Amino acid sequence: MQLMRALDPLQVASSGVNLLRSGLVLTFASALALSPLPLRAQDNLDTRRGGLLDEIVFATETDTARLSGLISDGAFQLTAQGVSDPSMFQRIRESALIDYDMSFGGSVELTLNPAGPTFRDGTLNPFHVPAIREAMNWLIDRRFIAEEIYGGLARPRSLPIGTAVPDFARVAASARAIELRYRHDPARALAVIEAEMQALGAERQGGIWHHDGRPVTLRMVIRSDDNRRQVGDHVANLLEGAGFRTERLYRGPEEASRIWIASDPAAGQWHIVTGAWISTLVRRDSSDDFDFYYTPRGRPDPLWQAYTPAPEFDRVASRLAEGDFADLEERAALMTRALDLAMQDSARIWLVDQSQIGPRAADIQVASDLAGGVRGSQIWPLTLRFADRVGGQARVAMPSVLTEPWNPVAGTNWLFDRMVLRALNDSSVLPDPFTGLHRPQRLARADLTVREGTPVSVTLPWVTLDQAEEITVPDDAWIAWDEGEGRFLTVAETGQQGLSARTRTLLHYGPEFFDRLWHDGSTVSLPDVLVSWALTFSRANPDSPHFDPSHVPVFEVFERQFRGWRIVSEDPFVLEVYSDQISLDAETMVAQRTASVLPWHVIGLAMQAEARGELAFSSAKADRIDAEWLSLVAGPSLPILDRRLEDARDAGAIPFPNLLGPHLTEEEIAQRYDNIAAWRAARRHFQIGDGPYLLHSVHPIEGALVLRHFPDFPDPADRWLGFAAPPVPVLDLDGPLIVARGEEARFTIQASFAGDPVAADDMEAARFLLFDGDGTLIEEGDVTEIGGGMWEVRLTPAQIAALGMGPNSLEVVFTSRHVAMPVFASQPFATVPVRTANW
Amino acid sequence: MTELTQPPATHPSTTRPRSREISGLALFMLRRVLALVLTVLVGVYLTIIIANMGGQVDELRIIQIRADVSEAVRANPAVAAAERPALIEAQVAQEVERLGLDQPFFWRSLDYLRRAMLLDLGRAEQMSSDLGSRQVSAIITERLPATLLLFGTANVLVFAVSLIVALGLSRRYGSALDRTIVALAPSSAAPGWFYGLFLILIFAFAWPIFPSGGMVTVPPPETAGAYALSVLHHMVLPVFAIFISSIFVSIYSWRTFFLIHSSEDHVEMARAKGLTDRMIETRYILRPTLPPIVTSFLLMLIGLWSGAIILEQVFNWPGLGTLLFQAIGFRDTPVIIGGVVIFAYLLALTVFLLDFLYALLDPRVRVGAP
Repeated sequence: MQLMRALDPLQVASSGVNLLRSGLVLTFASALALSPLPLRAQDNLDTRRGGLLDEIVFATETDTARLSGLISDGAFQLTAQGVSDPSMFQRIRESALIDYDMSFGGSVELTLNPAGPTFRDGTLNPFHVPAIREAMNWLIDRRFIAEEIYGGLARPRSLPIGTAVPDFARVAASARAIELRYRHDPARALAVIEAEMQALGAERQGGIWHHDGRPVTLRMVIRSDDNRRQVGDHVANLLEGAGFRTERLYRGPEEASRIWIASDPAAGQWHIVTGAWISTLVRRDSSDDFDFYYTPRGRPDPLWQAYTPAPEFDRVASRLAEGDFADLEERAALMTRALDLAMQDSARIWLVDQSQIGPRAADIQVASDLAGGVRGSQIWPLTLRFADRVGGQARVAMPSVLTEPWNPVAGTNWLFDRMVLRALNDSSVLPDPFTGLHRPQRLARADLTVREGTPVSVTLPWVTLDQAEEITVPDDAWIAWDEGEGRFLTVAETGQQGLSARTRTLLHYGPEFFDRLWHDGSTVSLPDVLVSWALTFSRANPDSPHFDPSHVPVFEVFERQFRGWRIVSEDPFVLEVYSDQISLDAETMVAQRTASVLPWHVIGLAMQAEARGELAFSSAKADRIDAEWLSLVAGPSLPILDRRLEDARDAGAIPFPNLLGPHLTEEEIAQRYDNIAAWRAARRHFQIGDGPYLLHSVHPIEGALVLRHFPDFPDPADRWLGFAAPPVPVLDLDGPLIVARGEEARFTIQASFAGDPVAADDMEAARFLLFDGDGTLIEEGDVTEIGGGMWEVRLTPAQIAALGMGPNSLEVVFTSRHVAMPVFASQPFATVPVRTANW
Repeated sequence: MTELTQPPATHPSTTRPRSREISGLALFMLRRVLALVLTVLVGVYLTIIIANMGGQVDELRIIQIRADVSEAVRANPAVAAAERPALIEAQVAQEVERLGLDQPFFWRSLDYLRRAMLLDLGRAEQMSSDLGSRQVSAIITERLPATLLLFGTANVLVFAVSLIVALGLSRRYGSALDRTIVALAPSSAAPGWFYGLFLILIFAFAWPIFPSGGMVTVPPPETAGAYALSVLHHMVLPVFAIFISSIFVSIYSWRTFFLIHSSEDHVEMARAKGLTDRMIETRYILRPTLPPIVTSFLLMLIGLWSGAIILEQVFNWPGLGTLLFQAIGFRDTPVIIGGVVIFAYLLALTVFLLDFLYALLDPRVRVGAP
């Protein structure tokens, strides 16, 4: 999750032009016919391996406003950018030529200034009072914001955790109850504000709150570059209705940051900021959100240091962040309590979860990440296809191509660069785009052992989980690096016999792991794993020619948790990893232990260049030594690598010879250099991978990349096709509208996806919540499955009686095993007195 | 150019000794060079100050660094909550040091200035060239050909067409065509990108015979001939947009200029002698007006350097205008300064050359005249 950098200044400045252009262009473009692309010979899906397309072309298109027109026109089949403009969403929905995927990774909130009760200039800050902050929840109509301001591209959100993350599903019932407690109730909000303002010594004069003879003016920093402008105006109007004066400061991202992040909250430069956050992947664990958003531990900036959470909230938040709970039940209880306390604190008022759409041609299918869209999807390369055929060429629009140099050690971290790189490189595991839970790709299975009392759960059968009283690291496990000798040191050699760890992970790779090919035709081998490990340590060693100070802080964090590697077997490849690092999901922990694989012959050339001061893996080191930042695809790095290739080929040189040497023959070394030389001659770059597509050609100035199908990829092409669309169930709740006291009530729920009933096994949980007319939770329990995609809730006469007379509502919450986002349905009904004969 | 004056017609230039004339010219040139260097120095330093908002940009950049690092660290699942503050502080400190933000802005501004004046454009702070280089010179020169191609073509076209048409119109003053051109001249109030929007709408979407943007088809053609044709195809709309936004006012301007010269006594005399129109145009109008035409042409060429930011944006053209806009967005001071300093030097060099040429070639211009 990262602070939304709002809009690129480029976009801000050109938005007026883009707006005008889009208005003119798209009106026409949406009506144009799709021109078919020439396609190459097609494979049969049963026999095809790897990617489902023959060619993917990435090209730069900076103007999101005309994407729908370009897709309609056949210029592109897919866009990497998300679209959040409601009017464009409407056009896309109306177009028969365009389909779209939804992602839910964004959120919008109001950040309130907690300093006070008066600022340094003596003016009153009402938001110092938690009760007034809490009242903001009742004052604001989130549904209005979601539907009117965001045009349906948002969902109301009241709580600190998003509605499309697994943690929300885990505590959905209690979360929903808290949400209802904070539903729109302006009268209640005004009453609380009235009482608290009077307690602060303020009084209303002419309808305006005054304090010390001055009107209470709220300074609102309103982001002016997106829909938050309207949100800010809406909230300002509500506050003016509550008797406050407002000063609306419309600011772009940088100016806003200078006010709310850099200034001391006690200086009183602002009261409210319209904030936004974005996540590019499904976050499996939200337990540190409370610590981050509400306590001084979140960030070192002045605003965070001004937070003074209630002692209980502070304690609960800290325990969640540090994983201080015995099991998942205790964690769920802590989460529920934290949600409750966060709403009482309300340093932030959560407003909506923002959605984005990812437009694509109607005949294209792709697995889009539930949070990050297609650009955040790890399996897009394995699922992108034409719906009606195998093969063909797809063109993908991106806001930028080759934004930063590509190298696998410390190269680009740009979102869109990384999207392309995912097609070029294979992975040991891949996260499910709908749940965030990792699934095996090159791994066959994994065995995880954790120390007793470690709160970890496992969901998928490819990981086994057990507990041990003590986990001892074997003496022969590698734990440190000797730069002088260029080899790893064992636990015994470092004198750490008897070292213990919190976890042991046994990674069993598939039999094909060392039979696979790099794109240049070289066979993947153990040295490709070893070079990655060695470089991780060597780059943190001041005696190494590869030492990089920017790598050290991250390495130190890794080193504090790392407890050892041990190669159990080379064929099949089995690796044992010891670590103190803990995650909630066993699958996530296994994913973090997997080995990186780098082509040693290419990395070796880059290492030689770095050792000579000609190139550097990282941007920071490149600046430090005044060299170029290594790029394997283009630019001044390539002639340097050519020279290093020539030298290495002549000398038969290899990186870390003491470590890699025993695993390589002279023939293998020569073959590798022959392969990369031939590749370089043919493709004119050094970027090789082991993924389903290879980098065919690079056109940096023109802003284009061409990827082609890699026929030697080991997996069948249909392996991941089951993830083409998120199986979010649709619920249809039916039942009586009137229930008499003393009677039983039966409600039925039909759960379906794409018209088909959802099997009970596909549901992780199905709960009902029964609320009375005041929104008080009266009863909750499990929904009963009755077969054929149907469930039921039977309310007993006693449960009906507990509701009293009047309007009530029944809500059901279903959590699918296949998608992180829980789904809700509700039915209002009335309870009436006992029916009489003549009634 | 206060030293350059038109001396009285009665002042005989030939009476001056040759050596005195040369030394006067050298002194004049020296003074011009110093003045131009000073102008470039002031201009570049102003750019440094403005691009950095007098140093306030430092604060914004540190805020942004802190935010980026904080969120990157938080997004790393391998980093425990307790480890984060120290890691954030360490990474922020490294980045601040890398960018020199731990040094006072004043001293950095002087260093920027020194390097700029020596044409040591240095390394970009945030940006990379399309090919992946951090050298500012590489970043700029990589985009230069695209801008020169597009704006060079368009402006040379505008210049040539407007000169030819204006010359003709100056002899058909008051004709229907002349009145039409005069009437259309205000249309140049709208910039090229504005016409570009309509051209895209019409010729890329409604009647799709030209691409809506980009410099070449993607993927780019593999043969040089096909590549060149593709570039030409992509240039049509932006060149036409620039052309129609400039042509009428340019014709109007030159036509007025030629009209004034057409009524000079020596032109009237030529007409009275019965010389042909072509001879009058070339010998009696064009030749005497050549210096201002050359000046205009050279300044136009210099103007190509910076490109047109919005037009390149509209047509997705990978030129310098887009680059400078990105640099401003990134607040990448070395790239901004690099763009400005090259432009400033080119402009100063052009002005110097023009002064020199005027002093040498124009018989009416004399150095150091009272």
